[in-house]
Amino acid sequence: MTSPASAAEPLLAEGRPAARPGRTPFPRRLGGSLPTWDLIATKHLELRKRRGLLVTVLVMIIAPTVLILGLRLAFHLFDPAHYGPAGSFSVFQSTTNLTAEFGFIVAAVVGAAAGTTDLNDGVFRYLVITGRSRLALYLARIPAGLAILIPALAVAFTMLCLVTSYESSPQPPSVAMNNNISVPVNLDQGQLQAWIREHPRQAAEAFGPDQIGPGLFRKGSGNGIAAEYSYYTATEDAVLNPAANEMFKIGLWLSLEVGIGFLVGLGLGSLTGQRTLSTILLIGLEIIVTPIFARVQIPYFLDGQRLDVGVAMDQLRPAALAPANLGGPGPGGPGPGGLLFGGRGALGIPPMPTWAMISVIVGWIVVWSVVGAWRMMTRDA
Amino acid sequence: MNTIGTRGISHVPGPARWVATSAKIVAGPAGGGIHLGVILLALIVVGGLVYGVTRTRRGRVNQHDDGWGREQAPPSPPGPAGPGGPPRSAELPRRDGPAVLAGSPVTPDAAPNGDTSPAPPRPSRAVSFDRPTGGWAVEAHGLTKRFGSNVAVNGVDLLVPRGCAFGYLGPNGAGKTTLIRTLLGLTRADGGTMALLGIAVPAERSRALARVGAIVDEPRFHPHLTGRDNLRLLAAARGGDAAKRIAPSLERVGLAARADDKVARYSLGMRQRLGVASCLLGDPELLILDEPMNGLDPAGMHQMRTMITDLVDEGRTVVLSSHLLDEVERTCDAVAIVDRGRVIRQGPIDELIRGAGALSVQVDCADPARAARLIDEAGIASGASLTDAGLTVTLPAGSSRELVAEINRRLVGAGISVYGLQETRASLEDWFLSVTTRLGENP
Repeated sequence: MTSPASAAEPLLAEGRPAARPGRTPFPRRLGGSLPTWDLIATKHLELRKRRGLLVTVLVMIIAPTVLILGLRLAFHLFDPAHYGPAGSFSVFQSTTNLTAEFGFIVAAVVGAAAGTTDLNDGVFRYLVITGRSRLALYLARIPAGLAILIPALAVAFTMLCLVTSYESSPQPPSVAMNNNISVPVNLDQGQLQAWIREHPRQAAEAFGPDQIGPGLFRKGSGNGIAAEYSYYTATEDAVLNPAANEMFKIGLWLSLEVGIGFLVGLGLGSLTGQRTLSTILLIGLEIIVTPIFARVQIPYFLDGQRLDVGVAMDQLRPAALAPANLGGPGPGGPGPGGLLFGGRGALGIPPMPTWAMISVIVGWIVVWSVVGAWRMMTRDA
Repeated sequence: MNTIGTRGISHVPGPARWVATSAKIVAGPAGGGIHLGVILLALIVVGGLVYGVTRTRRGRVNQHDDGWGREQAPPSPPGPAGPGGPPRSAELPRRDGPAVLAGSPVTPDAAPNGDTSPAPPRPSRAVSFDRPTGGWAVEAHGLTKRFGSNVAVNGVDLLVPRGCAFGYLGPNGAGKTTLIRTLLGLTRADGGTMALLGIAVPAERSRALARVGAIVDEPRFHPHLTGRDNLRLLAAARGGDAAKRIAPSLERVGLAARADDKVARYSLGMRQRLGVASCLLGDPELLILDEPMNGLDPAGMHQMRTMITDLVDEGRTVVLSSHLLDEVERTCDAVAIVDRGRVIRQGPIDELIRGAGALSVQVDCADPARAARLIDEAGIASGASLTDAGLTVTLPAGSSRELVAEINRRLVGAGISVYGLQETRASLEDWFLSVTTRLGENP
């Protein structure tokens, strides 16, 4: 069917240089799977210059902290008789939980945007035409997006930690346990055991009479000193500002929460190619599905509930953010927030084994990253 | 446990009380979850509104841009030179700058004064379909791409010689863009083999594409980034020296002055030029341009034509996909005709037209009817017909100009006064229509 013309004429190359002087050598390979620094930097630029996206990040991560702390500082400044210091534990706890909620959501928004922007703007095919590995193009989005989210989170959380540390009221010397029995603060497990031994009657009232024997913990009882110490520290966390190491731990947990939101958003966005759909799905997961799964035990579906990354992250939530056994109905106590649309706290369902919790978190990260990368590599451009 | 000091809110006046109440809600004790939810939703809505507003603002395109980076007055009634008047341009002397991007920079003032008339036919380069030593610029054998039951590319055999402008012609829906997407690895082929610049794809796709620049469908860029930032993004993906070529590329396509404007404010013509600039980042040996004339005004088309010619003169190969036959004929040295996913003809334009036997002679004489009978009886032409313009004599395929002289001799010898003989060569369009018509008759 094809009919190439006969070759009566001389070659085109005759009379013309085959290669121009100065032509750069033929590149050996462009397909490395790891993104270059330049690629990450330009992807970061591309996301950073989306004004609306950046405003959303600032409004949802930094603005709530600034607003809450600013108001608390102002109120305390002008009316100290009625308003306590801004650096109270309850402010720290509520603001951190709020930041975690908003952080996950805005991370999902940024992730979905990072996963779909090139597609929606029609640039994806031109990136593919460069010959760069599609996997490298996908991987470049991860540090680029996190480089927007994590600094914003760090700013918000640092402000919160500074105010909590330097604008707080004097810390109480003791903590009130059951029956309003005061126990000194900052005891380690051995010191607590010594205190119980020295104060058997108060200890029995503070920790429950069936738990405490004459000076020692009763043999064969359900709870040992470890469980009572856990109760003691949880109670202590509720009234004392977290220590620096606890703040650091909370910061890492917040970063993980935001990182998971971003990676899941990126993977889901790359899979669907639709930013709005991905964002809605993840907001629904965060503010509807996860609170229900975390607090209501659905018959015959407990293991299914535990597969939700939000439930696993709730279990991982540092104790200072989810004080346990504080009079709530569930195994983990109510924690802050309510069932729907609220900052979640301690689990309302039996906790899963640690290995299961870690597997769920790692599984969500790996599965969504693999799914997103796979779709990116196989998608028609 | 949460003992927040929000007592005394009632003492705070008006708006401050509202804010204080909000603060109490936000940082309030356990059980305030539903309030948190309300605030969460409110913030999402506000965030969405802010995002939407910024996107809307960004989406506004300068409607009065002439495609050359200049503001224009609102469109005026079309005159001889088109709405608003076309930008002027003048041929600039060729630069002897960096070899990578040497060539005539195209600027808004770079076209000849008011020269929007069709360019004279460009002498074609001689194109050989003998196998070149370094491999074909594009080589495909039996290339097939299906979308369900629809065969978009149907066993295409295509050979594109190096160092020429090659037209890939076909009507809309013929499979031109699909073939290009398949060649570039944007979609997987269902069958066949292909190579770019002698390098097999998709096996060594990355290596091959490192020396290929392409525009597929239409150039698309991030609208919220500037032209320069978009090129930075593509240069980062290309790696190597691509970043150093951003400025020369922008200069060459005449966008240096508007490089720091957001692409959202570019006209389609400017985006086409930015697309060409992006192609040049990789110092390509092969450029594949899909409908590059789309959206260009006459002066823009002239400039694009000039640029393509310059690129070919530098030793690059340009594959031009188009349905604009006139543009292809002016720009390209060889063509392939595609219809319904199949390449039905390919070769140098001159040979294809000559081979189609489309040479004719317009005869201005004293007695056209008698002249027609005389030529028919002599049997020296394929046919002679009377038209409003006079006598048209169609010559057999491969006829030499000597036959025209013979016709003149016969007519004069028979006593018919001859006032003029005008040789008429069929255009690519005539040939294309004749080929596609035949196909239509025999599907």
